[in-house]
Amino acid sequence: MRVDVNRPRPSRNPDVPREAIEFAHPSEQEFASILDFFGIRWQYEPYTFPLRWDENGVVIEAFSPDFYLVDQDLFVELTTLRQKLIRIKRRKLRLLRALYPDVQIKLWNRKDFEWMLRRFGIEDQADDLVGKQALENPDG
Amino acid sequence: MADLAHHWLADQIERVVISEQEIQAAVATMGAQISRDYAGMSPVLVGVLNGVALLMADLLRAITIPVAVDFMAISHYATSAPTGSVRIVKDLDESITGRHVLFVEDVIDTGLTLDYLLRTLRTRQPASLRVCVLFDRPYRRLINIALDYRGLELPDEFVVGYGLDMDGYYRNLPFIATLRRNQIRAS
Repeated sequence: MRVDVNRPRPSRNPDVPREAIEFAHPSEQEFASILDFFGIRWQYEPYTFPLRWDENGVVIEAFSPDFYLVDQDLFVELTTLRQKLIRIKRRKLRLLRALYPDVQIKLWNRKDFEWMLRRFGIEDQADDLVGKQALENPDG
Repeated sequence: MADLAHHWLADQIERVVISEQEIQAAVATMGAQISRDYAGMSPVLVGVLNGVALLMADLLRAITIPVAVDFMAISHYATSAPTGSVRIVKDLDESITGRHVLFVEDVIDTGLTLDYLLRTLRTRQPASLRVCVLFDRPYRRLINIALDYRGLELPDEFVVGYGLDMDGYYRNLPFIATLRRNQIRAS
């Protein structure tokens, strides 16, 4: 993908019907179910944001936030990864915010997600949805 | 902060994070504002059971104008329900069409529940619809909602009391507290 580095724009990904979406992680599927439950309109990875490119304008790093909440105009990146990998993701988010200052994005990390499970009374599902290994080794 | 040494839950409570006095001061402030703003309007206060019970009782007594009160209850989320959506399991007793409605909520975090309820109430065409929230966790917000009356911000930790529960218990504490870790795990 070539991008005008002076005016980067996100690229639109193909629309996928709800029933055909292949979530990358069980926590994303649960998050989608929670949004559905409350009637929140969302899209899964609808855009890819170029973050870095080579001297020819070819994208060498990009980021596709997990969810877009349509009526909120808000992207949500859901991560239940270990702390070390969250740092990498945070760096991407900093780049995204610098390049696309009008884009609203929120990082929803493992602590946030576990809190949400507790909030909805399903914290006993945490091992299945978040990953037991990550829970036992929060510092990676 | 309250002296917990002789509290009947002293062995379960770790720390009081918002005292009864702070809560009552916030409720009194909101009650005074509501009384001023709604003078001559006879609003109906609407709350969602069960968490709002304590706040509603105290707020009603802090309001010095004629008000009505009504409650509703909604179903809880069940994991990965394929076609699940919120169900109203107890609806309002009276119509709110053409009336001034003040929605009273004990706590807002993601905003998902409140957003759903406000959308539902708007379809009933009230004359006005405002929001009063006692406890706010703004750092968890997913849905932006304008709060007309806002009390106190909650710390980023698991707390109970004054309507906030764990497995249905601890709502009756007059303050906000953290629980000892063994209590959280034991439940």
